[in-house]
Amino acid sequence: MLSVEDDGDVEAEEAGRDMEAYERAYADDRSWEDLQEDESGRLRVVDVAQQQRQHRKRVAAMAGAHIQRGIIRYLYLLVDLSRAAGEMDFRPSRMGVVANCVEAFVREFFDQNPLSHLGIITLHNGVAQCLTDLSGSPETHIRALRANLECAGDASIQNAIDLARGLLCQIPTYAHRETLLIFSALSTCDPGDILEAVRRCKDANIRCSVVGLAAEIYICKLLCEQTGGNYSVATSETHLKDLIMEHAPPPPVLAESAVASLVRMGFPQRGAEDAVALCVCHGEVKMGGGYICPCCKARVCELPTECHICGLMLVSSPHLARSYHHLFPVPHFEELEGTAMANGRESEFKLCYGCQQKLPFPGGEVSGVRLVCPRCRQHFCYDCDLYIHESLHNCPGCESISSTSSLPDLQN
Amino acid sequence: MKFKIDDLTVYFPYEFIYPEQYEYMLELKRALDAKGHCLLEMPTGTGKTITLLSLITSYQLKHQKMGKLIYCTRTVHEMEKVLDELRTLQAYQEKELGKEAKMMALGLSSRKNLCIHPQVSGEGSRESVDAGCRKLTASWVRAIAVDNPNVETCGFFEGYERDGANALLPQGVYTLHDLRTFGRQKGWCPYFLARHMIQFANVVVYNYQYLLDPKVSGIISREMEKECVVVFDEAHNIDNVCIEALSVNIRQQTLDGATRNLSKVTQLIEKFKTTDANRLREEYNRLVEGLAQRGNLPGTDTWLANPALPDDILRESVPGNIRRAEHFVSFLKRLVQYLKGRLQTEQVESEGPVSFLNSLQSQAGIDQKTLKFCYDRLHSLLLTLEVTDTDEFMHIQCVCDFATLVGTYTRGFSIIIEPYDERMPNVPDPVLQLSCLDASLAIKPVFERFQSVVITSGTLSPIDLYPRLLNFNPVISRSFEMSLTRDCLCPMILTRGSDQLPVSTKFDMRSDPGVVRNYGRLLLEMVGAVPDGVVCFFVSYSYMDGIVNSWNEMGILQEVMQHKLVFIETQDVVETTLALDNYRRACDCGRGAVFFSVARGKVAEGIDFDRHYGRLVIMFGVPFQFTLSRILRARLEYLRDTFQINENDFLTFDAVRQAAQCVGRVIRSKSDYGMMIFADKRYNRHDKRSKLPAWILSHLRDAHLNLSTDMSLYIAREFLRRMAQPYDKTGAGARMTLLCQADLEKMNT
Ligand code: SF4
Ligand SMILES: [Zn+2]
Ligand SMILES: [Zn+2]
Ligand SMILES: [Zn+2]
Ligand SMILES: [Zn+2]
Repeated sequence: MLSVEDDGDVEAEEAGRDMEAYERAYADDRSWEDLQEDESGRLRVVDVAQQQRQHRKRVAAMAGAHIQRGIIRYLYLLVDLSRAAGEMDFRPSRMGVVANCVEAFVREFFDQNPLSHLGIITLHNGVAQCLTDLSGSPETHIRALRANLECAGDASIQNAIDLARGLLCQIPTYAHRETLLIFSALSTCDPGDILEAVRRCKDANIRCSVVGLAAEIYICKLLCEQTGGNYSVATSETHLKDLIMEHAPPPPVLAESAVASLVRMGFPQRGAEDAVALCVCHGEVKMGGGYICPCCKARVCELPTECHICGLMLVSSPHLARSYHHLFPVPHFEELEGTAMANGRESEFKLCYGCQQKLPFPGGEVSGVRLVCPRCRQHFCYDCDLYIHESLHNCPGCESISSTSSLPDLQN
Repeated sequence: MKFKIDDLTVYFPYEFIYPEQYEYMLELKRALDAKGHCLLEMPTGTGKTITLLSLITSYQLKHQKMGKLIYCTRTVHEMEKVLDELRTLQAYQEKELGKEAKMMALGLSSRKNLCIHPQVSGEGSRESVDAGCRKLTASWVRAIAVDNPNVETCGFFEGYERDGANALLPQGVYTLHDLRTFGRQKGWCPYFLARHMIQFANVVVYNYQYLLDPKVSGIISREMEKECVVVFDEAHNIDNVCIEALSVNIRQQTLDGATRNLSKVTQLIEKFKTTDANRLREEYNRLVEGLAQRGNLPGTDTWLANPALPDDILRESVPGNIRRAEHFVSFLKRLVQYLKGRLQTEQVESEGPVSFLNSLQSQAGIDQKTLKFCYDRLHSLLLTLEVTDTDEFMHIQCVCDFATLVGTYTRGFSIIIEPYDERMPNVPDPVLQLSCLDASLAIKPVFERFQSVVITSGTLSPIDLYPRLLNFNPVISRSFEMSLTRDCLCPMILTRGSDQLPVSTKFDMRSDPGVVRNYGRLLLEMVGAVPDGVVCFFVSYSYMDGIVNSWNEMGILQEVMQHKLVFIETQDVVETTLALDNYRRACDCGRGAVFFSVARGKVAEGIDFDRHYGRLVIMFGVPFQFTLSRILRARLEYLRDTFQINENDFLTFDAVRQAAQCVGRVIRSKSDYGMMIFADKRYNRHDKRSKLPAWILSHLRDAHLNLSTDMSLYIAREFLRRMAQPYDKTGAGARMTLLCQADLEKMNT
């Protein structure tokens, strides 16, 4: 049954009992109603609500309500620049698309994980090369990758994860060790036993994830399964970006490493606009701006970072605040469907509380899902749901309650 | 779960059942109710075995009169899989029924797989293990051993004779391994124990040969009552098995060996005349009474009876002219001499049994009736002469097999004598082939003897051809599709290369460099787009050698190897096993590999390339049989004249089933996914395509017909990406692919 009312439709279920089995098979499976031809002439099932539901399911699975998350991450991006990255099935080439995605990812990563570090390792000609060391500056990584966009030879996953493992083993234990492999190739040419390398990563508590560009590869699946990572394969350029971006929010913490620990941080002040100072990150004389380390008074250009002189972690308070939402997420909105939708209060909830657009209801002309916030009971559309959970990180309904008088109500 | 089909309670050991399994049971039950034969096609990966087992054993529970379930498999490996399923089923039945559950199941195989004697079991071939065992257990050996402690016997056999034969065995499922362990524990011979257990078992699993091959079957099958249900699993090649079972090849070496055997026999006869003339006389008397008397011989001495022989021959007495041992030997000498003469020929000769018998009569004075008895007469003689190393008498046995077959059947056979191999005309290698043309001959006794015979496989299309080939009337013949939660099968028909020129292995095109290059480009593009394992099937060894060579010269092979390692099937079993092993390893570690293999070869028949071991299979060309082969020509003619089966229909049917068999190796379960490329323009023709099994056809969209290399590459890429997405294994929403007990109850009311 691919039609909209799949589980809630009690009456249809009753009626079905009297039907002959074969009749019911047709009645249930009215899939022809949802068919549409796609560009290659193949029939495909199109059901907006179903698609939206699936996407929400995926998001919900990733954002389980009360899991502990690692806020301080050390992640190596393993970028495959082997021969396969030059293929043109993505425009302009896989490599170009990957570079764009990486750029967006790096920014988003530091945005969501202000206290984390990232480095880039490239795979080409059968070797793995450390392009940038772990650091907190997005620009360095982006620049370095842009400057080295050339592809050649084979990829070796073993070399890459071995190199990353060697580097990640040196970082403090409170941090979360991760690698994210963006893999264009379909095979890996390794000098040794890759299964052994996978085992060592697992032992070193490194979470390895892979985003593939072409197809599911057994060894990548194994690597992710063994190390608790996530494996996905992109179907298009935009899908690729989505998949890579999915790795920006902090991952759930593996149970065994979930020990709370304290970390020292500094909140630097913005330097005076007219002061001239030598910045420690570039080693240049800079005019104005920048931030001053509260500990050693060195000047850095960007936040967040680690002070190059005293090694203190330097963050700004908004950064820290942004990290919070991972710890206190907006509750997952519930879907209202079928009969539950027609509880007489429809007139009250014709419009989305977020954007004031029309909401779908049975028989209505708008298709899609209708969602409700479990705390404030306001109704939202699909787009607002995404926006609230992925970007805004607080619910307009709940916010307006707390700003008005009914705050005690909420506490009950 | 437990559910009802009409009034029958079916015990099915799993929580859920696929809809096609349920339907399969319905049809099977109808066939059993009607006490008739049936043909059922259901793709691999849908749990055919457990469906069959659970319905039939449930049927046995209800109908006490019903006989055993005889489950025939092709290989020992398949046999073990069936027994494993049976064990699950037994555990479930016991849980549900307690003491009521009566299941006694066992696997039966030759001594080679069951013997536990430390020396004998170490012998290499089946024949030598048989002979080794006979040396220790023949009645006369044991008789001497009673007085002479130096004569070696088999302790396990003695143990079995002492206690095993009368012991009551606990119920359960006995695999070959269990039998061996059990035998070791008790000190009983597992082989004889298993044969003894058959009469108490209600499920017996063994090889096709035990029912079809007169050289192996016999006593064992003879014990089975009429009410038995016989299942032939993976039976898509059953006609070929039948034909092989009744075909004999005689070469120069065979005849030379036979001559040696005969002089050895003569010596033995002389020896016995002086030492134990009584034995020979006793045999003579026995022969006068007829072969049926053989039943009185001790268990280890009986030879396997020939079920292909009409029953009356067993009641007849052996013709007078071969009753005496010397006479029989000189009769055989004449026969061997005659055959040697025939092998001398310079050109190919081909004739029917009748004309062969005529010339045999006129030139060597050998008549048909006598020939018919050769097989049994020889075994009786060997027994009388106390011959235990039967493997050494292989050659004369072969000649006698031939004689009996020629003497028995006057139609459905042809005798072809070729002075050299077609492919190597300069090397004289004469061979006399008695080839069976009619598959129904070997299986006829099975259909006649047993109440219900079930023929089933993943590929039996077109399903109406099998009843004609095997000459029987099924009460049910059905083909089932696979219910899938996603479109995990992607068959494609590729007709053109990237330059739009047609590709084919048709005779006039196969060596065209353009076609060779286009095939090469296809492979190259695909290995670049498909991860892990890719399997290629070629139409024959010689074609594979040729094209791989050309690819090598064109540099295509080197390019392929940049993407994946290349492994090749050879005619050497050990080498191929090693290649397969390394192929799997390359797939496991992410290096990726291609396996080149041959349709109709060992790999195509028995090796699974499931999951990442086979994401794509390319069938290069249509695997037609070698149509210049004389045996094939004779068979085609026979099929046309006897069964009105059109030559082309048969050839196409045979080629397409082989192709389907090859590509079917990549999908072994529903959670798997794989692509299949039929690379030949001829597949696009309706007459070929429509012969593919339904489960492939239902996924063959119009958009996947008549493709060129780049189009199929595009489809492949898209398919692989789609399959890599997470999916809901229980079937999104309610595309019903799993039924539970409640669902079935609803359907029944
Ligand atoms: S009696 Fe059994 S154990 Fe002994 S040699 Fe024969 S097969 Fe082997
Ligand atoms: Zn700076
Ligand atoms: Zn500092
Ligand atoms: Zn909205
Ligand atoms: Zn809210």
